[in-house]
Order: sequence, then C-alpha cells, then structure tokens
Amino acid sequence: MSSYLQLSGVNKSFGDFTALHGVDLAIEKGEFVTFLGPSGSGKTTTLMIIAGFERPSGGDVLIEGRSLSGLAPHERNIGIVFQNYALFPHKTAADNVYFPLQMRGVDRTEGLRKANDMLDLVGLKGFSHRYPKELSGGQQQRVALARALVFEPSLLLLDEPLGALDKNLREQMQIEIKRIQRSLGVTTIFVTHDQSEAMSMSDRIVVFEQGVVQQAASPLEIYRHPSTRFVAGFVGESNLVPAIVSDVANGRAESAALGRCSFAPTSRLAQGDEVALLIRPESIRLSPVAVGDHNEAEMRVETIVNYGDNALVIGQVGELQMRARILGAEVGVKEGETCHISWPAEAVYAIPPSSRHSAT
Amino acid sequence: MDRTLRTIGILVVFFIAAPLVIVVPMSFSEARSLQFPPPGYWLGYYRAYFSDVTWLQPTWNSILIATVTMIVTMALVIPATFALVRYRFAGKKVADLMMLMPLAVPHIVMAIGYYSFLGELRLVHTHLGVIVAHTCLSVPIAFLVLSANLKGFDQNLERAAQSLGASPLRTFVHVTLPILRPGIIISALFAFIQSFDETVLAIFISGRNAETLPRKMFDSIRQEADPVIAVISTLLFVVVLIALATPLALNALRQRRRAASAR
Repeated sequence: MSSYLQLSGVNKSFGDFTALHGVDLAIEKGEFVTFLGPSGSGKTTTLMIIAGFERPSGGDVLIEGRSLSGLAPHERNIGIVFQNYALFPHKTAADNVYFPLQMRGVDRTEGLRKANDMLDLVGLKGFSHRYPKELSGGQQQRVALARALVFEPSLLLLDEPLGALDKNLREQMQIEIKRIQRSLGVTTIFVTHDQSEAMSMSDRIVVFEQGVVQQAASPLEIYRHPSTRFVAGFVGESNLVPAIVSDVANGRAESAALGRCSFAPTSRLAQGDEVALLIRPESIRLSPVAVGDHNEAEMRVETIVNYGDNALVIGQVGELQMRARILGAEVGVKEGETCHISWPAEAVYAIPPSSRHSAT
Repeated sequence: MDRTLRTIGILVVFFIAAPLVIVVPMSFSEARSLQFPPPGYWLGYYRAYFSDVTWLQPTWNSILIATVTMIVTMALVIPATFALVRYRFAGKKVADLMMLMPLAVPHIVMAIGYYSFLGELRLVHTHLGVIVAHTCLSVPIAFLVLSANLKGFDQNLERAAQSLGASPLRTFVHVTLPILRPGIIISALFAFIQSFDETVLAIFISGRNAETLPRKMFDSIRQEADPVIAVISTLLFVVVLIALATPLALNALRQRRRAASAR
C-alpha cells in the first residue's frame, strides 16, 4: 500500500554542505501538508526537488508509485506558487492563467473561458484584463494561485506565498487558500517558517531542522507531543524543564529547579533518561498561596505583558525562567511579587532524549 | 550655494546643447563653407545632399554596415550574455575580461591592428572588413547594456513557466524573450549607433569602396568644409531624436489606452 506522494531517502548536498539527510515522507491524496522550519532547514530544497528544479543527490520522489526522477519540471504537472508570485509582467491576469492551458494546446477561446472561471473561483471577477503591476499584493497572490490550479495539477506547491502580505491580509488569504484547496481537493504542500500559519492551515505538519525531518504529525499532536526540544520550542510557546526520569510507570521525574514532577507516562522512556519536561504556558495557573501538590513552584514575577484578552507572565523559579499565559487581563499579581504556579500532571509531556529519538 | 549649482548646471546644459544650436542653423545657411552665424537661409544644401551620389553612397554604406554589425553583434551577445551572467564555468573571469577589452584599447591601436590583420585576409576596403571591425567594438557595449538587464531578471519567472508546462525553449520564447525585449532593443540600438558613428577604424579600413558617412564627412571637412556636413548632422540628430522619442510616445499611448479600458 503506497501513498499518493512518496519521498524515500532523499538526500541533497551542495559541495561539502549537506542540505538534506535522507528525507522519508508519505503524503496522501487530497492532504494539506505544511513544511515548517527556520530558513536553511531544508524545507524549500525539498520543495524544489519535488518540483524538479533541484536534482536529489540520492533517493527518489514518486507520485502514485511512479518515479519523477526522469521528468523535467515542465513534464511533472505540478503547480507552484512562488513567494514573489512570479506573474508574467507582460501578460494580463487572464493570459497569465491561460498560459498553462496554452502550453497544453488548449485553444484561446476555450482557455480564456476556463481562466476566467478560475479567476472567479479565487475571487477576482472583473480583474481579468489587469496587468500584474495594476493589482495589489493580495490580488497578485490570487492570480498566481489560479494559474497554478487551472490545469488541474497532480500536486500544488506553495513556497511561503503569504510572506509578503500584511497581517490582516495574510489571515484572510489563509482562509481563502484552505477554502479553495478543499473545494478542489488538490494535494497541497505549503512551505512556511510561520508556526501559526502551519497550525491553522494544515492537516499535517512536517517540521524540518538542519536537513532532517524532526517530526511529521497533525498540528495538535505536534503541539502536545513534540518529538524533540527543537519542535517544542519552534511550535508555540514553551517552558522546557530539564529533568531525570525516576519512575517510568507512574511518570515521575526529578528536576533541579522544580523538584519532583509528574508527567503523562509514555512508553518511550527508561529510568534515568535525561528528558525535557514541556509545560505549555497556558496550562500554568497562578495562585497567591500554595495548593499543596508536587506540581507547583514558587515564582518571582519579573514581567507582565498585557494583551487585553490575555496576559503573559514571565518570572524566575530558582535559576529557571518560566512563562505563564493567563486568560483575561486580571492577573492578580504585580511585577516584583512572589506567587505560586501550578499545573496539572497530564499537561506535562516528557520529551525523550534526542539520541533515542533519532534511533527510532 | 544654490545659485552656484544652478549656474554650473546651466553651463553644462549649454555646452552639451551648443553643437546643436550651432549646427542646425548652419545647415540652412547660404554661406559657401561652414560659417556661424549664417549670412542668410535657404534649403540648397539639403537639395545638394539628396542629389549627390558621393554623399548618398556613403550614407547607404553606413546604414548597411551598421545594420549588419547590429545583427551579428546581437547574434553573438545574446547567448554570450546568458552564459556569462547565469553560469559559472572555468575561464569565466577571462572571458568576461576579453568581452570588455575593446572598450579599453584605444581605437587607433585597434585600427592599426585590424588594418594589417584584415589586409592578410584581403578584407581591407570591403564592407565585410568594416563589419568585422565594428562588431568587435559593438560587442562590449551591447553586452554591458544587456547584462544589466539580465541581472535584474527574476529567474522565478522561468521556473514558474516551466512548472506550468513550458519546455525550456517555449519558456524562452514566451517568457524570457518578451520580458527582455526592451533591453535587447536598446542593446541593439547601441550596437547600431556605435557602428554608424565610428570614424577611426572606418578611416583605416573602409577605403573608397566601403566608405562610411563619418569617414566622408571627415574627408570633406579637411578639404572643403562643405555645409552639407551640417545638413547630415542635423538629419542624424532628427533621426536619433525620433528613435529615442518613439518608445516613450508608444508607452504613453499604451498607458492611456489601458487606463481607458480599465474604466
């Protein structure tokens, strides 16, 4: 049973520099998958290899079981939206969208009709005769999307397409892209370094770091059970507490800063493992007095940042900095005061040692 | 400070414009040789130019040589520019340098070199000889103009075209070439003007058979200072003016039409 799109052992080196180390991925038909990672992590290189603009140093890319390795980019039937849109400046919006059909021998009348239908779908009715420079950034984005979809590609690749847009427009386009992707059911790979974009849009997130896939899972799984400290730190806010596992079955660990802590037990740990306990800031509660549980600590509050609907409280527990997110603006403590923080044991996830992870 | 700058500015403009201010009136002059200010005005020398084969033949030679030079130059420069701007290869630095060499070598040195070299090939006093020499001078200029254009070209446009199903050749025809067209036209125009303008090599190589207009003008001014020279200068100025103004006018027209259709 093979998946729709498969990457098996894809390597890429540029001279001495290894950009990708044996990437294995399986993507199902119709899935919306995000490649997430900082710049230089290999996510764009992987995209370029799928598109055919980079040749892998090893490994293979298959669609429906057929290798793409012998195919030039123009033979792959893959739609791409580039970060700067790459619209043809000498063609109107309609002619830009008609271009892939023209290359496939569709005659002009029929092609322009399809192009205009597609422009309608992306919300650009009435803009078909405009040239790219007469369109706003968001409109250009929509033209690029229409152009990449009009020929019914077997795969849609989006290379940081929202990077150049301002915040409001970006959120609007996130929703738009999801709507269009769902309505056409096209298998989509979206590349971004923005974790909130990845969280809100994806069926599945693939986290890249230094040319290695750190984790590939659903957004919630990545958020709740990150496989490495890097993933925990990159996706969402996090408190990472170094600790040593003392009781695997009951989920107990000893931390220098917090003392004895409970965590949600997992099977992947052994006694004496050096783990990082992940406590998300929003699972931390503040109280003026101790609750009498071992999942708590005394914190000296240093900074309070108020966002109106929530507040970020940053403080010190011994040598360790901890962050808490409190819903609403009423925090109950002031900067410089001391308070108690507590959290439920099931909200603590113990991240296994990284050597163990890469071995599995 | 402001006033000094303005004075300098006006002086610079004056010195740039001065030759035109003098030459254009002289072309309508009644005087028997170049004289300023003209004693009276008539169109006699325009008539003389258009009816004298000793002027029309060099004009035709120049147009022919400049046109062929332009075509050969662009046939060499377009692929060379792509190679030198886009690819890395052994000897690229040397190739870059060789490309621009003719700009650094004095024309008189090149003229002497070509005179003996083309002499061996029996190409002195032929159109082909002048074309070969002029092409060598035009190549670096056309290359400089075109490479500046190509460096600013977004290669994602070509990648986009390929992802949309265009083979490399169709990508070049449908995307690269149309977008680079203004740069290619300007580059070709420079190649043409360079050849049309060139005097030193033409004096050495063109001889009587392939005599170019600048060479004929140079001979004429030494011998008789015929006011037809002023006529030719004026005509050349008008031609250049039209060549420069046409793209601007076309652009303005296109934009107005576009604005009208958008409404």
